[in-house]
Amino acid sequence: ISAVEDLTVAGDNARRLGSFAGLTESVLAAACSRVGQKVLHLDRRNYYAGNWASFTFNSLLSWIQEYKAQQEMPSTESDQAWVGKIEEGEDMLPLSSVDSSIINLEVFSYASEESEDEEVVTPSVANSFPKDSEAANEEPSGSSVEPQHSDSPGDRTQGAAEPPKQETEPSEACKNRQMPETQQSNQSEESDKQEQPITRPAEAPIELNKRITYAKLLKEGRRFNIDLVSKLLYSRGSLVDLLIKSNVSRYAEFKNVNRILICRDGRVKQVPCSRADVFGSKQLNVVEKRMLMKFLTFCLDFEQHPEEFQGFSEKPFWEFLKSQKLTENLQHFVLHSISMADQEILTEEGLKATQHFLQCLGRYGNTPFLFPLYGLGEIPQCFCRMCAVFGGIYCLRHSVQCLVVDKESGKCKAVIDTHGQRISCNHFVVEDSYIREEQRTKTSHRQISRAVVITDRSVLSYESDQQISLVTVPPLEFSSPAVRAVELSSSSMTCMPGTYLVHLTCPASGSAREDLAPVISNLFHVPNSSGEEPMQGTEKPLALWVMYFNMRDTSGLDSSCYSLPSNVHVCTGPDASLGCDYSIKLAESMFNQLLPDEEFCPPAPNPEDIIYDGDGAPGEGASFEETNHAERSGPEGEGQPQENGQPSSESSEPAESTDSVAPETNTESKVQISPTEE
Amino acid sequence: IATMEDYDYLFKIVLVGNAGVGKTCLVRRFTQGLFPPGQGATIGVDFMIKTVEIKGMKVKLQIWDTAGQERFRSITQSYYRSANALILTYDITCEDSFRCLPEWLREIEQYANNQVVTILVGNKTDLAERREVPVRRAEEFAEAQSMLYLETSAKESDNVEKLFLDLACELIREAQQNTLDNTDRAPVPGEGKPISYLSCCSVN
Ligand SMILES: Cc1cc2nc3c(=O)[nH]c(=O)nc-3n(C[C@H](O)[C@H](O)[C@H](O)COP(=O)(O)OP(=O)(O)OC[C@H]3O[C@@H](n4cnc5c(N)ncnc54)[C@H](O)[C@@H]3O)c2cc1C
Ligand SMILES: Nc1nc2c(ncn2[C@@H]2O[C@H](COP(=O)(O)OP(=O)(O)O)[C@@H](O)[C@H]2O)c(=O)[nH]1
Ligand SMILES: [Mg+2]
Repeated sequence: ISAVEDLTVAGDNARRLGSFAGLTESVLAAACSRVGQKVLHLDRRNYYAGNWASFTFNSLLSWIQEYKAQQEMPSTESDQAWVGKIEEGEDMLPLSSVDSSIINLEVFSYASEESEDEEVVTPSVANSFPKDSEAANEEPSGSSVEPQHSDSPGDRTQGAAEPPKQETEPSEACKNRQMPETQQSNQSEESDKQEQPITRPAEAPIELNKRITYAKLLKEGRRFNIDLVSKLLYSRGSLVDLLIKSNVSRYAEFKNVNRILICRDGRVKQVPCSRADVFGSKQLNVVEKRMLMKFLTFCLDFEQHPEEFQGFSEKPFWEFLKSQKLTENLQHFVLHSISMADQEILTEEGLKATQHFLQCLGRYGNTPFLFPLYGLGEIPQCFCRMCAVFGGIYCLRHSVQCLVVDKESGKCKAVIDTHGQRISCNHFVVEDSYIREEQRTKTSHRQISRAVVITDRSVLSYESDQQISLVTVPPLEFSSPAVRAVELSSSSMTCMPGTYLVHLTCPASGSAREDLAPVISNLFHVPNSSGEEPMQGTEKPLALWVMYFNMRDTSGLDSSCYSLPSNVHVCTGPDASLGCDYSIKLAESMFNQLLPDEEFCPPAPNPEDIIYDGDGAPGEGASFEETNHAERSGPEGEGQPQENGQPSSESSEPAESTDSVAPETNTESKVQISPTEE
Repeated sequence: IATMEDYDYLFKIVLVGNAGVGKTCLVRRFTQGLFPPGQGATIGVDFMIKTVEIKGMKVKLQIWDTAGQERFRSITQSYYRSANALILTYDITCEDSFRCLPEWLREIEQYANNQVVTILVGNKTDLAERREVPVRRAEEFAEAQSMLYLETSAKESDNVEKLFLDLACELIREAQQNTLDNTDRAPVPGEGKPISYLSCCSVN
């Protein structure tokens, strides 16, 4: 790659350098670049955002393949390239070349493997039960089941054995099949309203009644944007605040999360969120409504009433809820779907979380949450774009192999990449997964359990089939954590029309499959799940494709857990919580530590009011690229001559602004690019 | 949605192509009427805006440059999202920049909207004596990929206005076509909102 030589040039000028990946790293990079620091972003992967990445269906399959290959042939740590690059008085500190932050990856496919053509000739057939079932017989087996280096050895064999089982009981599978046609007839309580026309995007007329084949998923693969990390944005959370403050929000678009749902006793219900919801709710009786209103009103300014929760400061929130004369139903609502807390949360924290939820309500919609179009993986990329706009240099597929540590100062003064190139730096920011065991004083054994399910309909059908929903599944046993599911419709641009993408997340107690398979078979119809029949009269969505994996949760670690030079900064996370606040706060505190006198992400200038470098002077942050600047930087061809003969109607620039772009000016000139005056 | 803005159409135009082919120069020639000497990246410039008038309609063009991320093939996917038009640029004096086009097309296909209007641009026609890519070859390529095609010189200001105005005309044509076709006016899938827009209805 030609990149290699260019980077050498970068070397000596680099003041700050990072091997960035996730949200924290991207935000930090953007913040540093924004205030004039030079940032070089290297990533060994060929995609952005590291474990925060989002993939099309096809690229996710490739990612899975790569994962498998790495499991079978773990690449050994090789330390050759740095040889000869280390000078006297320097030490070498290797980085890990193996990413072990994802484990227990397992994939099951239940989508029919018949070819698309067959499907097309029989569109009407989908409406008749027997034939549909026949088609279901050809159900494929799990397309791939990865042999794992799983934490629990028993899990491996189980996983390998299960999917093909369904062939022995095909009739079972079709019996369980739900009729797609019924999905539009609303059985929810709200359905007494008039039928709303189902609006289908013009781009892809996919019939609702058509079963979705595996071939179809592949063919429409680019319509999927499947996130590895599933989170939402609290509308008054630190990420939304930062997006607005920094103007990075202009790189992305957002949708409101429309519904908050809870799954109890195998039934999915909507949680009343706004005051109107509470009063309109048919699940709550008048007494409950009043109770809830009273309680939530108290939560809004609970600090003013310390006497109310005095005795509970050391006690869990649920005990406090119990004491508040709330019905069990309401306790569940508040604990799991409003405070979004787990069982252990203490009373004051629970109250704070409830208050935050209520404060977020109504800012953008009727739930406290936003979701970025095209997936959460867009967000780190947006910050990368901002970093690049302010001169940050980006280089994917380029890995750092080791750090060069000055023996005397104990600081990292350079890094050596896998091409053996030495790049000097003042600071090095790195994601946790690059750190070797030897540099750790403490390891995190916390894991996050994740599952991704592609389904054919919503867990709770509604007037519109384009809802984005947050579903809480409280634990079956008291000790285990609640599972959080985010159900995305195609309007979020993360899945093809006619399908839903469901992300399940919980703190791990076992492998992802152990933790989440019971919830998945509770929420969805999984064709081969042994003996699990959907409850009579319920219309469970069909699971077409399921992926499980565990992601390491490093959010409990801090700098004391690594023995590294003081100018090497490790980014931890993502954590298991619903919001993004952990990662943003971490980025901000790292920034304040690096550059205590600078502002964190001040607004980028409005493009209608652009500030840019005077052209005669080399751009401040541009020096990485100045290989042949000298021969080009003559003052020839500056604006004035052309300016005279401007064609009339399209001239958009006020004439006076060109004066300030004179070749000699070293100062920044402000150029207003205003709309045509004519 | 009725807007109070003073334009009839707003289009997002995105430039891609190898580093050094003249993308930044094309944008600045069009929006500012100048040819910047030197190759320095323009720090802090995110996108440029220029409003043009076409057949009596005010068309606001939001023109996005790569922010240098093409240099190491590291353009973010989000750069392509919601672009109405793509200007795929190569340098007529640099065979290599032409040979990389299929790679760029693959990326476009992956991440850009299906309905994006793509135009192929061969830049630096002022350096005719150093031409490495014959017009014929580029025309055939553009035709095979059903793209529009144009040669420009950012330096001599050749065809630069035409490039953006042609593109604007094409975008207007498509936009009008679309409103005609979608008689039932289904909401665009994933019609998301920028936060700034969302927040206009909040107290904050
Ligand atoms: C069950 C429940 C009970 C609650 N009870 C209370 C309570 O008793 N007291 C309390 O202060 N908060 C209460 N809240 C919290 C409150 O919903 C949120 O704090 C919210 O941000 C305040 O706006 P809202 O209730 O008007 O929101 P919503 O009713 O969801 O309103 C949505 C939007 O409409 C606007 N809006 C609503 N009403 C008006 C109005 N009258 N005039 C102009 N604009 C309006 C809001 O600003 C917001 O932009 C409750 C929340 C819940 C979930
Ligand atoms: N002769 C000539 N040089 C050009 C033209 N357009 C750009 N250049 C030069 O090509 C180099 C790269 O231009 P730039 O706009 O930075 O390319 P980008 O990397 O694609 O943005 C600069 O040295 C420009 O001066 C052109 O039309 N003619
Ligand atoms: Mg450029």
